[in-house]
Amino acid sequence: MATAVTFTNKPEELFVDKHVKYIQSLDTRKDELEYWLTEHLRLNGVYWGLTALHLLGRPDALPRDETIKFVQSCQHENGGFGAHPSHDAHLLYTLSAIQILAMIDALDAVDTEACAAYVAGLQKPSGVFAGDEWGEEDTRFVYTALQTLKILNKLDRVDVEKAVDFVLRCQNYDGGFGVVPGAESHSGQIFTCVGVLSMTNNLDRMTPASRDQLAGWLAQRQLPNGGLNGRPEKLEDVCYSWWVLSSLAMLGKLHWIDQNKLVGWILSCQDEVRGGLADRKGDAVDVFHTVFGLAGLSLVGWGGLKEVDPIYCMPVETTKRLFGPK
Amino acid sequence: MASYSSEEEEEEELDYTNDPVWADVTPLPQDDGHNPLAQIAYSPEYTIAMSYLRAIMAANDHSPRVLNLTSDIIGMNAAHYTVWGYRFKTLMSLDRSQTLEDEKIGWSWRQELEWVQSIAKRYEKNYQIWHHRQLIIDHLDDPTGERAVTGEMFALDSKNYHVWTYRQWLVQRFQLFDEEELAATASLLEEDVRNNSAWNHRYFIVLGRLGEAGPEEGVVERESELAKEAISKAPQNPSAWNYLKAVLRKGGIELATLKPFCESFAPILSPDEIKSSHALDILSEIYDEAGDSVKAEKALELLASKFDPVRKNYWRYRRRLLGSKPTPASDTPTIQATA
Repeated sequence: MATAVTFTNKPEELFVDKHVKYIQSLDTRKDELEYWLTEHLRLNGVYWGLTALHLLGRPDALPRDETIKFVQSCQHENGGFGAHPSHDAHLLYTLSAIQILAMIDALDAVDTEACAAYVAGLQKPSGVFAGDEWGEEDTRFVYTALQTLKILNKLDRVDVEKAVDFVLRCQNYDGGFGVVPGAESHSGQIFTCVGVLSMTNNLDRMTPASRDQLAGWLAQRQLPNGGLNGRPEKLEDVCYSWWVLSSLAMLGKLHWIDQNKLVGWILSCQDEVRGGLADRKGDAVDVFHTVFGLAGLSLVGWGGLKEVDPIYCMPVETTKRLFGPK
Repeated sequence: MASYSSEEEEEEELDYTNDPVWADVTPLPQDDGHNPLAQIAYSPEYTIAMSYLRAIMAANDHSPRVLNLTSDIIGMNAAHYTVWGYRFKTLMSLDRSQTLEDEKIGWSWRQELEWVQSIAKRYEKNYQIWHHRQLIIDHLDDPTGERAVTGEMFALDSKNYHVWTYRQWLVQRFQLFDEEELAATASLLEEDVRNNSAWNHRYFIVLGRLGEAGPEEGVVERESELAKEAISKAPQNPSAWNYLKAVLRKGGIELATLKPFCESFAPILSPDEIKSSHALDILSEIYDEAGDSVKAEKALELLASKFDPVRKNYWRYRRRLLGSKPTPASDTPTIQATA
């Protein structure tokens, strides 16, 4: 059952050891309802937890060999990865698998050639990618596909230009991006679109004025309490500390929001007894909000956290090893 | 045989081990390969249902009982891509063999759609449900009743992103850029003038698909009046201001024409009477374009110091750009509604 959360009264302190213990404990909570209900997110969950541990400076806190074995067990004959051995392959899990292996420097543990072929097979004539064989199309999948291939150094397997054109067609009159052309601007989708443009060196396909309008829209996401929301008139949520901040960072406009206020707000969402962060004060903590809260703190330079790469949501140590220094 | 998983039936537990329907199936338990990272201690109901599903999938079984099994699992976990995919595959297989609408099966596409809607109401934040619905409606090639279905969802949450994405797909797929759609957005904006999703959808149906051709006569006037009325009701609503600017841009109308309107919300010489930071924002552009740098600076300074200090760095950046055309926020790509 869900455990009561003790929200901190000290929003100037980061409880590093508590968060490490919280993430390590996730795998031992198998008697809890939530654990099996999130089986369909297991591979994502390992990525979230591992990234958080890397940012906390504890990359060895999860057992490396078992992590590799689990990722291997999730690869399908078609080359893609499922969330769990019994689940169908999907781009969302495929990227997590490759990111996990990239962070622990074990990409040679799986069939990367088959993986690249799986990803390439999901590109559609419009340039977008489907998430899996069922054909749901979404700018999230363009991001997951291209990042997977970029890590594997196999971007040449797909039509990058068409993918970029598709992403640009998703920009709206308010400057933001949505899930498909015409869909409402949403901070999460903006992260994926700006991420695609950044990782393919295409940010300049937006005019300077258009980039400013987008960054201005992102800055508008900060609410008077310091937290960030995903769309106008919605509640603030710790995960947007990542989607909004990383996008601002890629656009070079991190300073357009009040970072001190944001930091205080993120820190107030910590459970100071059991560790972990919640979406907002008063709710239950989870690993998803834990990693994105920590990644947000890392982006604004919180001391003691490893630097995170705003494009890839992995430690800069990893992306430097993969792609060389910027 | 009884109907497959009507809403009442969902509450009943399926008895896989004793029901003769399942007697020929040997459940396949989860194999985690002794991997501590992934071992799962299951809830009994979910474990049993999943082990039957694994066995059914291994046998490539697409018989009607799959509908019962997958609805049981989806009722416990609606975000499982694999289960939805297998259910759709089964529906299509039954459809091909023309057994789906057969009375003996007691299940039809319409019943499926009703069931999907009942699940959608239980799990409002879910991608898979709406994609499943999209696959079915695309297959049936008939949008009848679908706008009402999304309307029911908007009554629960008028900003549900998944439902709006589905609605846009529907409009695009069946070319429903019509009066009904226009009236629907007007009514949602009537209820909540701050509904950014509804503003976005209105742009999509009115102006989004025009491409190079300009809007029809009267449309720009009608839409800017709508936005202005909305602004009068809630001067701090960014959605209506963004819409107003976008409409003018699409209609090729200069921003300067908004000067009196904006000044009525933000008289910069009487800061105590300023009711809208968005009006100040636009005024700074209008003054700048007119070469009135003193007023433009004043507007941006008021934003940085008094009306929106949380973003003071942004407003100072804007001040540095004064006098250097093109101004920010005056140049965005036009949107194309086709994917």
